[in-house]
Amino acid sequence: MTVSFNKEFLKKSQSLIALFLLCLVLSLLSDKFLTGTNLWNVLRQISVNVCISVGMTLVVLMAGIDLSVGSVLGLTAALSAGLLKNGLGFESLDLFVGFTVLGGVLVAMLVGLFLGFLNGWFITKFSIPPFVATLAMLTIARGLTMLYTQGMPISNLGSSFEFIGSGWFLGIPVPVWISAFFVLIVLFLSKKTTFGRYIYAIGGNEKAAFLSGININRVKLIVYGIAGMMASVAGILVTSRLNSAQPNAGASYELDSIAAVVIGGTSLSGGVGSVTGTVIGAAIIGVLNNGLVLLNVSPFWQQVVKGLVILVAVIIDKINQKKD
Amino acid sequence: MNKIYRYIIAAVLVLFLGYKSIYFKKLSEVKQLDKSGFDYDAYADTLYNKGILSEDMGVGLDELMFMIQTKPDSAFSIYGNRLGIGNSAYFMVKGNGRISAVQDGSLKILTEKGESVTLDSKYIFGNDLRDASRLVKLTDFKTNAEFNKVSEALNTLVREKVIAPTVQRLREGDKISFMGALKLNRKHLSDIEFMIIPAQITLQ
Repeated sequence: MTVSFNKEFLKKSQSLIALFLLCLVLSLLSDKFLTGTNLWNVLRQISVNVCISVGMTLVVLMAGIDLSVGSVLGLTAALSAGLLKNGLGFESLDLFVGFTVLGGVLVAMLVGLFLGFLNGWFITKFSIPPFVATLAMLTIARGLTMLYTQGMPISNLGSSFEFIGSGWFLGIPVPVWISAFFVLIVLFLSKKTTFGRYIYAIGGNEKAAFLSGININRVKLIVYGIAGMMASVAGILVTSRLNSAQPNAGASYELDSIAAVVIGGTSLSGGVGSVTGTVIGAAIIGVLNNGLVLLNVSPFWQQVVKGLVILVAVIIDKINQKKD
Repeated sequence: MNKIYRYIIAAVLVLFLGYKSIYFKKLSEVKQLDKSGFDYDAYADTLYNKGILSEDMGVGLDELMFMIQTKPDSAFSIYGNRLGIGNSAYFMVKGNGRISAVQDGSLKILTEKGESVTLDSKYIFGNDLRDASRLVKLTDFKTNAEFNKVSEALNTLVREKVIAPTVQRLREGDKISFMGALKLNRKHLSDIEFMIIPAQITLQ
């Protein structure tokens, strides 16, 4: 009884144990790792990936994938920055519509939600595989970003906007508060609501879920919408931290996000996983990135190491599946 | 009944968020207001035409390189502009050469002394030109944002009104003279990559 409990506990906590061991090793190898400044910095950096990854978790739980999150991040960030800085001018009406920080953030979130819905609509309406539909959106959104920004950054967005990404509240960086807020919402959604159970059911066995009366298309539409919106929140964090929207912002962020989800124990075949696991996965990637930089490891080797970590996580996932 | 309340609450929330999100003004007033503040475009225009294009601006690339090899400390203190505590400094350099290639908006130049130089004529961003000019000081402005707006205005002027029209006319083999910002790192002088942000390119 005790042995099986311990095994179950170890299996469930393997990501957390990996994170703990990683922190332990890095604190031994670098005296800068465990300093307050560095740890806050790591948390600030992780916040962006956490925001994208919690949305991605819901998608992967449904046995889907969203490759467009990085590009959606870039487009929504550019749009909000552009509106915040330049507003909208209508010459013929002699009308200027200005946007406050709240306005810029809301527009970004609505556009992210819309692009996510579009992903979901293509997937459900035309039965396009998620990989292909979101890959198309990746290219479209990046192209639109380049068109909107003309390939140039939109900078100097004001100190109020900068506060979102660089400010502190009650001694904790604002991005950490924001990502924690969204993590709690998605956690509640996935664990405590019927909608959350539908997501797991679809990922576990889509046909069975359909036969039991779940409106699969509606759930998919909403989940992809949430993933798009979470990408836009991450976009706001990145843009406000730099006080500048870069046209290539978010490029390849989808890979870090998928990595966080997989490392956090969510199965790519759907139905198994959790938001908390993803947060730990994002933390592992963030700590790993930070540690490799502190240890002066070449950026090329950093990519190799990250790739190997993802590979190990997937292998462990497969072994667990076989055992189950 | 419950549904009606829900709709009312949703409508009030949307109106409240809308009220806090956007504001309306007359476009003509906004344009007027923009002009009444500090005119960065005019400042950049003066900085460029009366400062950067003045005769004594810039050091010959060959002369600078000779000095870097023989007296690097003097080269950095006389011609360089170092901001902050880093090892990098910006230099306004000028030279002549022939275009050996036009690649993705940048010009590869072979100077008369056989040095290979790249003029990054497409991506004129950052503070390189402002800092290489050594004419603008941070203390002249209240905030970093204002200081950076000078760069933004100067870069826009040089990129759109000076360099872009010139580069369109240039072809491989053309002989040109150039002036631009070069960033050098005091710790890495043995293997210098001559990547210059151009301030002026003239077809000879």
